[in-house]
Amino acid sequence: MTSPTLHRPVLKLIVVAVLGVTHASNFAQSLAPPAADKSADAADPTTIERQRPSSTPLKYIVPPIDPKQVPPPTPLMPRELVSVPDRWRIVDALDIKFPWYDPYNHNVYKGDKPFLPFAKWGPDWFLSLSAISDTLIETRRLPTPVGVQSTDRAGSNDLFGRARQTVLVETLILSVGVVKGNTTFKPPDYEFRLVPAIQVNQAFVGEVRGVRVDPRQGKKRTDSHLGIQEAFADVHLRNVSDRFDFDSVRVGIQPFISDFRGFIFQDVPVGVRLFGIRDNNTLQYNLGYFRRMEKDTNSGLNEVRKPVRRDHVLVANVYKQDFPVLGHTTQATIIHNINRESGRDYYDTNGALIRPAVIGDVRPHNYRVTYLGLNGDGHFGVWNLTSSLYGAFGTDFRNPVAEKKQRIRAGFAAAELSRDFSWLRVRGNALIASGDKNPFDGKATGFDAILENPQFAGADTSFFIRQGVPLIGGGGVALSGRNGILPSLRSSKDQGQSNFVNPGLTLFGIGADADLTPQVRVLANISKLNFVNTSVLGVLRNQKPPSKDLGVDVSIGAQYRPFMSQNIVLNTSAAALIPGKGLKQLYDEGRRGPQYSILMNLVLTY
Amino acid sequence: MIRRLLAVAAYPTLALLALLGGCGGGSGDVGTPVCTGACAPPVAAVDFLTVEDVQRVIAQATVEANARRSPATIAVVDRVGNVLGVFRMTGARSNFRISSGRGITGGLEQIDILPDTFAALTKAITGAYLSSNGNAFSTRTASQIVQEHFNPRELNQPGGPLYGVQFSQLSCSDLMRRTENGSVGPKRSPLGLSADPGGLPLYKNNRLVGGIGVIADGVYGLDLDITDVDQDTDELIAVAGSVGFAAPDDIRANRITADGRTFRYVDSELIQASAAPAFASLAGALVPIAGYFDGTVKSGVSFGNAASGFRADTGPFAAQGGFILVDSNNQNRYPVRDGTDGQMKANDATVIIQEALKIANRARAQIRRPLGSAVHVTITVVDSQGEVIGLARTPDGPVFGTDVSLQKARSALLFSHPNTAADIAALPTANYLGASGNPVTAFKTFAAYMAGTRQFFNDPTMFANGIAFSNRAVGNLHRPFFPDGILGAEPGPFSTPYSGWSPLHLGLQLDLNYNAIIASATGSPLVGCTGLARAKNGIQIFAGAFPIYRGSQLIGGIGISGDGIDQDDMVSFLGLANAGKILNNGIGHPPRSMRADILAPRGEGTRLRYASCPQAPFNDSTEQNVCEGL
Repeated sequence: MTSPTLHRPVLKLIVVAVLGVTHASNFAQSLAPPAADKSADAADPTTIERQRPSSTPLKYIVPPIDPKQVPPPTPLMPRELVSVPDRWRIVDALDIKFPWYDPYNHNVYKGDKPFLPFAKWGPDWFLSLSAISDTLIETRRLPTPVGVQSTDRAGSNDLFGRARQTVLVETLILSVGVVKGNTTFKPPDYEFRLVPAIQVNQAFVGEVRGVRVDPRQGKKRTDSHLGIQEAFADVHLRNVSDRFDFDSVRVGIQPFISDFRGFIFQDVPVGVRLFGIRDNNTLQYNLGYFRRMEKDTNSGLNEVRKPVRRDHVLVANVYKQDFPVLGHTTQATIIHNINRESGRDYYDTNGALIRPAVIGDVRPHNYRVTYLGLNGDGHFGVWNLTSSLYGAFGTDFRNPVAEKKQRIRAGFAAAELSRDFSWLRVRGNALIASGDKNPFDGKATGFDAILENPQFAGADTSFFIRQGVPLIGGGGVALSGRNGILPSLRSSKDQGQSNFVNPGLTLFGIGADADLTPQVRVLANISKLNFVNTSVLGVLRNQKPPSKDLGVDVSIGAQYRPFMSQNIVLNTSAAALIPGKGLKQLYDEGRRGPQYSILMNLVLTY
Repeated sequence: MIRRLLAVAAYPTLALLALLGGCGGGSGDVGTPVCTGACAPPVAAVDFLTVEDVQRVIAQATVEANARRSPATIAVVDRVGNVLGVFRMTGARSNFRISSGRGITGGLEQIDILPDTFAALTKAITGAYLSSNGNAFSTRTASQIVQEHFNPRELNQPGGPLYGVQFSQLSCSDLMRRTENGSVGPKRSPLGLSADPGGLPLYKNNRLVGGIGVIADGVYGLDLDITDVDQDTDELIAVAGSVGFAAPDDIRANRITADGRTFRYVDSELIQASAAPAFASLAGALVPIAGYFDGTVKSGVSFGNAASGFRADTGPFAAQGGFILVDSNNQNRYPVRDGTDGQMKANDATVIIQEALKIANRARAQIRRPLGSAVHVTITVVDSQGEVIGLARTPDGPVFGTDVSLQKARSALLFSHPNTAADIAALPTANYLGASGNPVTAFKTFAAYMAGTRQFFNDPTMFANGIAFSNRAVGNLHRPFFPDGILGAEPGPFSTPYSGWSPLHLGLQLDLNYNAIIASATGSPLVGCTGLARAKNGIQIFAGAFPIYRGSQLIGGIGISGDGIDQDDMVSFLGLANAGKILNNGIGHPPRSMRADILAPRGEGTRLRYASCPQAPFNDSTEQNVCEGL
């Protein structure tokens, strides 16, 4: 019984050996000097072919049928077809199942398999649910004025009071998506998404009137809000190539980011966006019209119960991949912002007038501004570079400080150059936002964005970007808004109007991200901040324009991801703004020490 | 450690600067005098209005009034309130009605029996008195800073910073002069200060020389809504009159901010100025006003010369660049002296005023341009009887602050004095007039004010219990909302309720002065506005004054006026505190346990304020919170 089986490999070896020889001889021939070879052929066309070695051709011998083996397949007969509901559920048929709450494996609620109740609409309808819990504990020292009519404590004889503040925030974001289409390569045909967010926040400050305009409401505020962060329908209009280059349109409340780092506009406005790709997904475009939603003051979430703001944003941009070099994407954009909020006064939920901002003559005004931008993101060899260049051109129809029409002419440039050394990324950051020289003239030359959310120079771990610092004694405006870098003296980054009469900023800094382990990343940044021109600060506070030396922002943060995924992320950071002379001329830093913030943020994602 | 070393190293430098600085070195201290140009003596040839100037101003105004078919009454005054010309155009109304536009009666509201000249004159005086070489404020500016919110209609914001200033410079004041007292200023005003647009300061060569006031529309009120842009006839005519004497752009109210808000100057700029006709050809007549104007156009005085009633001190305040008030014989009207009760000595008053001047010379002005200017204020010290025992000022302090600093000093004294509740309760009720001179029921008797206050604090000993009241604390009780500005909150116990409130009917302050104001306006002038011996020129209800104590005994008051209220507070608060250190005789602020900010009558968020010193207080340092712990 065993002999045939032993025999066959031997035979195979022989065949290989023979073929090998043949090949070898061909190879040898090809190595022969071509000139001689050719001349030989040409000289003697009658060369006699060398006789081949003779052998018996191999034959396939059908093995004897083994009755214990599985029978061979039979031809497919329609009536014998076993029904499988859809191809996504083949593994189900194999009885491989995962619990409904397991997001890591095939899950009908995470859009991995079509959702059967939707089947009546046709095939390939998916449901995708997710939930994010974001918990924040933040303690900080921000300049806090004492209540002007009434102070917390006797003996408060000066403007600056206790500066320690603590904030607790819990946000629950739910996302419901309904998608039709093959989700892997082909863009979906339809997508519907609804993202409600619920937040409860609590703030504790050192002085009355720090949380609400009425000092009787004390030093503690608890607030909550339900906002709709996304509610859109996305319709795939057409494919324009075999490789799924397409055009799509998205209507409703939707996220939009103006550039790689959110320098001009990052928001969840309501609007219409036509977008698509060309050239095998190397060219992307967006054409959008948005209106900004009203925001809830203390949560920053969309406020859908109030009318949409009279603030219009028109966007056209194009992203070109691998331009100018492989691995670098270049974006060109035009953003036009029309603000017509010169109507009724608007107060925020804490009772402060925010439109128009309490600055200058506080008369309402409209403005119109066009941003022309060129942005890049990618790498040149081993160097990573993100860059941004914007010009802002437009008109403030009646600036409240100048009390006349102003031409807006402002500029912005930012770049981050970094390089990776194994687990360490080292970065250099530079940013300049132009400042206004003379608040009373006909030109507004301070740069402001529409709604910035800059991912830059440490972003929300850095002090100056993360914290909103009120310009105490200078009106109802902040030196800079929360999660913003521009010191644009707005009443509110979220709810206020843009202000192009501002001191501008330069930032030069270095930073590093260190992936100490796959679970732990440590970030550190240090940036020197300067104002460009402090004239307007001098005017608003009626003091000699302070020094341009704003200070040094020092921050360190750590990110811990116990499962090396985004499902559980714990961020902690500490940041301080070591005051320069300019800041000391504005706030009581000299007496109380630098402004700082320490925070802990836990993000749980399902 | 490094910081400490640097701080030590810095001190010699500061000392050196002190020696080099400004108009004279101080000794013993805390303040370094710095002058910002205002120490220069006045240039007599250019800084007063000539007869021709006055005639031109009036003539220019009439052209605009004619163009608008709004015959007007026009008054021109100099910086210290000497009336230089009052002209009533043919066809101008000879009366006017006082109305805030809030549709209420009581107080001064709806009075319509007073002559048009009073309105024009009050507006002209307001333009001149609120302004200086560093700030040009109009009656429109006044309107913005005397209302229930600042800005008016900005919901839940505290009241105007100069809330109550309209009841100063009163004709019953013992400080403000009458024409029969000689030509020197500062002169009284028939209706105090005006918030009715149409009063502007006048300038020559960037120096304040006077003011123009116009009434053509027949209503003396204020601007309740400042967000719109008015076309106010009175104001347009005044702007036309001021052509050639207009305030420099850079120091106008709309270049000056308080808490980021610019002040209103005028809403209506003149499109085009017309050539002025000859004065003699004008249709109308100069109108004499008994006690103010004899019917002949005069030239003004040069501010800072003895003839103006204000001149540089050659005595104890010369070193700080101080100015004093003089009479027609060039004698100091308020030389430092011992208190009438013997509690404070002349030296005490001298040191307190010197220290206050030093603070003023270093302090950052809130209402002046250019940026980085020092404050200019008047400083008055009174004894425990409310008698002036010292008064000095920085050279360019607005004139209104002269009377107001005394009102404030007296108010801080008055409301800290244990006899006050009884004294006020015993006063006769204000006899309100209404339309056509008919009587209107008073808002409250004074006994009811005091009873209400005691009820408010739930303390039957209030204003007899020795609690030290700064003027800021007094002001907290005298707003239509308590806490100040919070809509829906109850009225302060000294205020009318918001439904019946206006800047022309605001409660205790006006009521105390009411009978004297009406008597003076209707031809029976009085000296002494309130019937209270300690408050002869009326009380004032905005910040900038503190009672003076020796230990825990009330011995007087210090009042400051002329710049931002936080500046006024700081100059008086720090001035007194620093003087206390130098005098070392127990004089200074009361113990903290006696100050009004221990009171929070309605719990959290209702604590009274005692002092509030400003951000970035000094021009020469980055110090902040300089009043902490004092």
